Amino acid sequence: MGGKCPHRSVKKRRYSHKTARRTKFLIKGDDMVYDQLNKADEERPLPVDEDLPGMGQYYCLHCDRYFSNVAVRDEHFKTKKHKKRVKQMMGPAPHTQLDAELAAGMGMPDNGPKLMSM
Amino acid sequence: MRLEKCWFCSSTVYPGHGIQFVRNDAKIFRFCRSKCHKNFKMKRNPRKVKWTKAYRRVHGKDMTQDSTFEFERKRNRPERYDRNLAENVLKAIPKIEKIRVTREERHHKNRMKGKKRKIQKEATRELEQGISLVKAPLALQKDPSLTLPQKIKVSVSQQQSEDNNAMEE
Repeated sequence: MGGKCPHRSVKKRRYSHKTARRTKFLIKGDDMVYDQLNKADEERPLPVDEDLPGMGQYYCLHCDRYFSNVAVRDEHFKTKKHKKRVKQMMGPAPHTQLDAELAAGMGMPDNGPKLMSM
Repeated sequence: MRLEKCWFCSSTVYPGHGIQFVRNDAKIFRFCRSKCHKNFKMKRNPRKVKWTKAYRRVHGKDMTQDSTFEFERKRNRPERYDRNLAENVLKAIPKIEKIRVTREERHHKNRMKGKKRKIQKEATRELEQGISLVKAPLALQKDPSLTLPQKIKVSVSQQQSEDNNAMEE
């Protein structure tokens, strides 16, 4: 998934082009996927995108991957990688900057009193 | 000037140090040094890397809940400058730091409570199991200088010890 970006020391394969590792920048981070999963469940039809495999209709939310058809997607659901990912996403929330600050011995951020009562 | 904390290891990032990564959803990740940045790029979880503060907190190695942690925090509102307040704060900082250090020491001491006995036990077992490598068992029976002495309980009454004191005088 991460695209090809071998180390410079390997002379045989050198892809220094950004295009070769484009997917590395497009893939979602763990915390983004986690937030997406924990949002209120609203079944919305996926937007049609002709650049994506299968017009972007067959999507795995956990792994952030698009598939060409239903059969391939269901095959993916059976894989070890997907199951591992599901298990990971069921667990505790991913590490955030707030966690880092709390671990460093800081208190919760002080945003001051609320100026407008909602 | 704001002293940020490193996303990975929770150490303080001083101005001019480290690197920051802004993801395409505008989320900022700050790193104190290339070590932390590389670990982030390898998608490591700080909670599973032993040298990070996050690991130590999750696994109960460090003190987690304490009133001294309430002082340092991110303040997202401007504080109006007050000369007296600033003076008092500067006076209070070393005091609070001292309290925090003593409490941390106490926490560490409590955590290490059963450690000494454990070390002693392990050493005894190693001696018992491995003594044959140093000295043959038959030779050891003749000269038992390399075995641990058996503890012998001796009951000493109060009367006798007083007598001993009298003797010494």
